[in-house]
Amino acid sequence: MSFTLLVNGEQHQVSPAGRRLLAVLRDDLELLGTKLACGEGACGACAVLVDGKPVNSCLLLADAAEGHEIVTIEGLSRGRAGALQEAFVAEDALQCGYCTPGQIVSATALLERTPQPSREQIHEAMAGNLCRCGAYPKIERAILRAAGVS
Amino acid sequence: MTRFVKTQKELEGRYEDVWVLVDEADDTVSWTPDQELSLVGHPAPRHDGAARAAGRVRYTADVVLTGMLHTAVLRSPVAHGRVRSLDVDAAWAVPGVRAVVGPETELSLTTRAPLLTAEPAYAGQPIALVAADTLEAAVEGVRALGLDLEVLPHMIDPQDAVNEQRFTTDPSDVARGDAEAALAAAEVTIELELETPAQHHSALEPHGAVATWDGDHLTAWVSTQGMFSAREELAKAFGLRTDSVRVLTEFVGGAFGAKQGAGFEALAAAELARLTGRPVRVVNDRHAEQLDGGRRALTRQTIRLGADRDGTLRAIDADAVVSMGQGGWVFPVMIPARTVYHCDNVRALTFPAKTNLRAQHAFRAPGVTEGVTALEQAMDELALALDMDPLELRRRNHAEVDQVSGLPYSSKHLLACYDRAAELAGWEARDELRLPQPDGLLRGMGCATQIWWGGGGPPAHATVRLDADGHALVVTGIQDIGTGTLTGARIVAAEELGLQLDHVTVIGGDTRNNVYGPVAGGSQTTPSVMPAIRSAAAKVRKTLLQLAGDVFEIAVEDLELRDGRVRSHDGAIDADVTEVTEKLGDATIDASGSRGVNPEGFVVNTFGCQIAQVSVDPGIGEVRVERIVAVHDVGRIVNPLTASSQVEGGVLQGMAIALSEEQVIDPTTGVPLNAHLDDYKIPTIADVPEIVIDFPNVGDLNLPNVGAKGLGEPPIVPTAAAIANAFAHATGRRATALPLTRARVIEVLS
Repeated sequence: MSFTLLVNGEQHQVSPAGRRLLAVLRDDLELLGTKLACGEGACGACAVLVDGKPVNSCLLLADAAEGHEIVTIEGLSRGRAGALQEAFVAEDALQCGYCTPGQIVSATALLERTPQPSREQIHEAMAGNLCRCGAYPKIERAILRAAGVS
Repeated sequence: MTRFVKTQKELEGRYEDVWVLVDEADDTVSWTPDQELSLVGHPAPRHDGAARAAGRVRYTADVVLTGMLHTAVLRSPVAHGRVRSLDVDAAWAVPGVRAVVGPETELSLTTRAPLLTAEPAYAGQPIALVAADTLEAAVEGVRALGLDLEVLPHMIDPQDAVNEQRFTTDPSDVARGDAEAALAAAEVTIELELETPAQHHSALEPHGAVATWDGDHLTAWVSTQGMFSAREELAKAFGLRTDSVRVLTEFVGGAFGAKQGAGFEALAAAELARLTGRPVRVVNDRHAEQLDGGRRALTRQTIRLGADRDGTLRAIDADAVVSMGQGGWVFPVMIPARTVYHCDNVRALTFPAKTNLRAQHAFRAPGVTEGVTALEQAMDELALALDMDPLELRRRNHAEVDQVSGLPYSSKHLLACYDRAAELAGWEARDELRLPQPDGLLRGMGCATQIWWGGGGPPAHATVRLDADGHALVVTGIQDIGTGTLTGARIVAAEELGLQLDHVTVIGGDTRNNVYGPVAGGSQTTPSVMPAIRSAAAKVRKTLLQLAGDVFEIAVEDLELRDGRVRSHDGAIDADVTEVTEKLGDATIDASGSRGVNPEGFVVNTFGCQIAQVSVDPGIGEVRVERIVAVHDVGRIVNPLTASSQVEGGVLQGMAIALSEEQVIDPTTGVPLNAHLDDYKIPTIADVPEIVIDFPNVGDLNLPNVGAKGLGEPPIVPTAAAIANAFAHATGRRATALPLTRARVIEVLS
């Protein structure tokens, strides 16, 4: 059974059903910016936007995403997350960078929902994105910088 | 002229004599403290930051090759067992399966320890491999193996192993003076028993490798800290010349000590690729990563200190039982007891207990973190017994020379670190934190001292090539595991070349260039590689200045090169460097540089002090770190931006030792219970305290030409001890084991 996914503004015919969205994005569509780190919904490295909300793509069946708008880090990198990405680089809010696409995805959703977030709102929105290198202090600063809050 | 020189090389406290190439014509000397530098010491963003932030960089886990097979690993479900049977035929019968390898399969590689085992001695140990067209088929193949296993007795508690004299290597007993007599004679003594937890590295990119053969040439993408050691290991295992093996390690998604050499994954991938004639991928899933990806050993330590009434340390008597698992190097848990403070009577015992766990693995400042975590809590207990300010006790016992060798340090600014940390933390007013608080929380402040090596050494090499566009290509042997050392390399090269940063490209992560760099461990990359880069760049600069002299018909001595411009001292010439380089046409200016030897007669260490402020909610047992001040003396800082990131990362991993991270093992089965990221609690952004960072930033003039020491490990070393001391200050109680989980805190406070 095949189905249609709308990813980064493009329609894709996908088959078979019954696989995780993460696997379809990485293996079929070769969108490798979305990372597999835990595969158990515990780390946020695989976060993508589904209708503007951050979702762990390792926990979502791809066929369940049919009819919804999926945006990956590749889609965000065409300008939508530009200010955040520049702020992440300027503040050094990344070290190994493996969690960074997921961080950018979650932070994009946060700022689109709450353009001027407080620190507490940042903590709440970003607590599902683990960073083992510990770039957190600078992730917080980068989000505030992108939001124009100092 | 290039000569061979025999010198000592240090890695994580292990010394070995090595022959190194020394360029006698290399006359680059350290920048002086007052020298004005354009780039070194100024914050610069990572050269590859934009690519990382856009998800464009490819880690080993992202490598996809045409026809690539996927691998599933059958791992032991028990802590100790013996395989009764494996249904290899059934695994082969699964559609898509291309290789099935069990413990009895004859392999083409030879390794010191067998790759697979029929008698696993820890939960998660690999028993068999299945490679297939898809990961799903490989997993199905593993399931079809129908593992039948006889369960054997296991031993998890290291004390049980000590009682039965089960050690991975002989216990060590190191002494100077007479600690026992000095303790007996001491005016004040304390004794403290402490446990430090087993901690998992938990890099978000799991261990992994992709291997492919072209005849007898092996190419392997490996998520490793040591691409050259991986190359050597693979070459040895398959009987190849090193130049027949290429290891690519451009981007690594975290390592923290766990990714050494080729590892199981690269050996398995190369073996399976050879068997199948196809590229093969072996990447851990998360459960395998948490089970078998690396473990800092649990330790149980006893520290007895004896001192005069004025705080002068007279005796340190320490011992550590280390849960080694199945083996591994015995990390220097007792080094802090032997080196941090001046003390003439020291005895230090280490018992490497053999337990049915994965072999312990280097984890960011291995051994020293555990040792400092115990010693520094004992020092606070001594301060309490003496009724003395804990920081003052540390100052009074400052070691002027290395306590093991008696040699002077190449540089040491620890006292300045104490002063600066105290100032930034508001140490003088710390007891005010213990007054009743409006929010009902208990508050306290604690400090701890850091020691680590971090001087680096040879061999390390670099090449620099300058082209007609005035653009330099710097080739290094760096594998940048997230520290930003390649960006540091770019800064050092550009500084020396007198070029702007964007005119310098840096390359690492590929052994094909055959420009050697050391394993990214032990805080040695910066102090080892940067001097080699500066030497290479200095030679190019020299040639460039000569050519500029030819072009402008002026003596070389009258010219200077800075920020991409050639200027004469009299101001008559002020030209873009391309006015010289464009005349190169298709030619380039090339040079190579190598790391000089370390100074003889000195011990090279890094030092520091951290001060933590915590709050404790006695009702629910929650400890929160509110603030950490971290001041570390690591010589000259090349890039303050990435340096502060290293400190933040180390502090947060150290905080996790104090508060949340521990391997939990079912004593009945010996199987770890929390080998997943939802129940093994690494810090989140919501746990982060305010982290205040400073460096003395004084270049070590005894180190070759850059004066920078390593910074990867130092910041993790004192954090857990500082937090534990702050907890004791806040509550008046000391927990005898970390982490300070809510259950443990409630127990300690009741």
